[in-house]
Amino acid sequence: MSDTTIKYEFQYSSAEHQADTAISGMWLFLATEVLFFGALFLSWIYSRHWNQAGFDAGAQQTWLAIGTINTVILLTSSFVYSVGLAFIRAGDSRRLMQCCVLAWLLGAAFLILKFGVEWPDDIEKGLLPGPGFSIEGPLRGGAQLFFVFYFFGTALHGLHMLGGLGVVGWIIRRTRRGDFSPDYHTPVTVVGLYWSFVDIVWIVLYPLIYLIGRGP
Amino acid sequence: MTARLRELSLTLLLLFVLLAIEFGMAFLPLARSLRPLILIPAALMVCVVGSVFMEARQGPVIVRLFIVAGLLWLAILLGLGSLDPLTRRDYYLDWTMIPGPAKPSATPPVPAEVR
Repeated sequence: MSDTTIKYEFQYSSAEHQADTAISGMWLFLATEVLFFGALFLSWIYSRHWNQAGFDAGAQQTWLAIGTINTVILLTSSFVYSVGLAFIRAGDSRRLMQCCVLAWLLGAAFLILKFGVEWPDDIEKGLLPGPGFSIEGPLRGGAQLFFVFYFFGTALHGLHMLGGLGVVGWIIRRTRRGDFSPDYHTPVTVVGLYWSFVDIVWIVLYPLIYLIGRGP
Repeated sequence: MTARLRELSLTLLLLFVLLAIEFGMAFLPLARSLRPLILIPAALMVCVVGSVFMEARQGPVIVRLFIVAGLLWLAILLGLGSLDPLTRRDYYLDWTMIPGPAKPSATPPVPAEVR
């Protein structure tokens, strides 16, 4: 990275120092996010341990096809963004733009499927915990706990996705303005870290919600 | 550039293979307590995304420190948090063996809120 062509703030000794600080800062933020979601995963361990049959009865009511399609969508979105990063490193900002737009559209498709199709269907089937919960019998309590985890976990992840769409949109705008080059693309790298992290959270949530409780 | 694109494409393929394995495992006749083993392919997918898409092996050394710290504290959180449910043992009381006037006729299940 050439310091003669790239501007950097006064508190850094070089442009590379500034880039390293930004990347390290994002990793530190992601480390705190790991603990944030860790509490959610712990709640799954604790609640399922005491209510295995009820939890599994709840999991069997989830829409497996949408969960699986959404996993494929997010993995592809993360891949496409990484390809865009490779393109800007090679100096092709037009391809970066195309990749970012595609990654954004895939992220939006995830949210539409999750909150525009799956959630309304779940609510219509009476799976929202409360007095109108549709699963009756001895497994009702455990199944309700599962759906508390399901709605809370997917809502938290969805909020992170919304934030991700916001920052990917910001990268698209800056790319259109011609802000990035092979020498300067730190924001693209930093946003890519966040976008892949949101993907990682879903990789863990997917089996917890859709697969573990779904036996033969 | 081409090498990086090939690496990314192979990584996506590997992720899809792991997803297929994970999906298939969900339909194996595993005991309820063994079903969390389905998380193994998911853990591998997390490692693959972290190392290739997020390039965790590159960047400043402090990045690796943050990753290790995050995983260490996650292990402590999940480990200590799971200690109670995974090690607690329930002792069911046979009420009919206890002397006294009022006895339920059979051993009642332990209420969930007590457990």
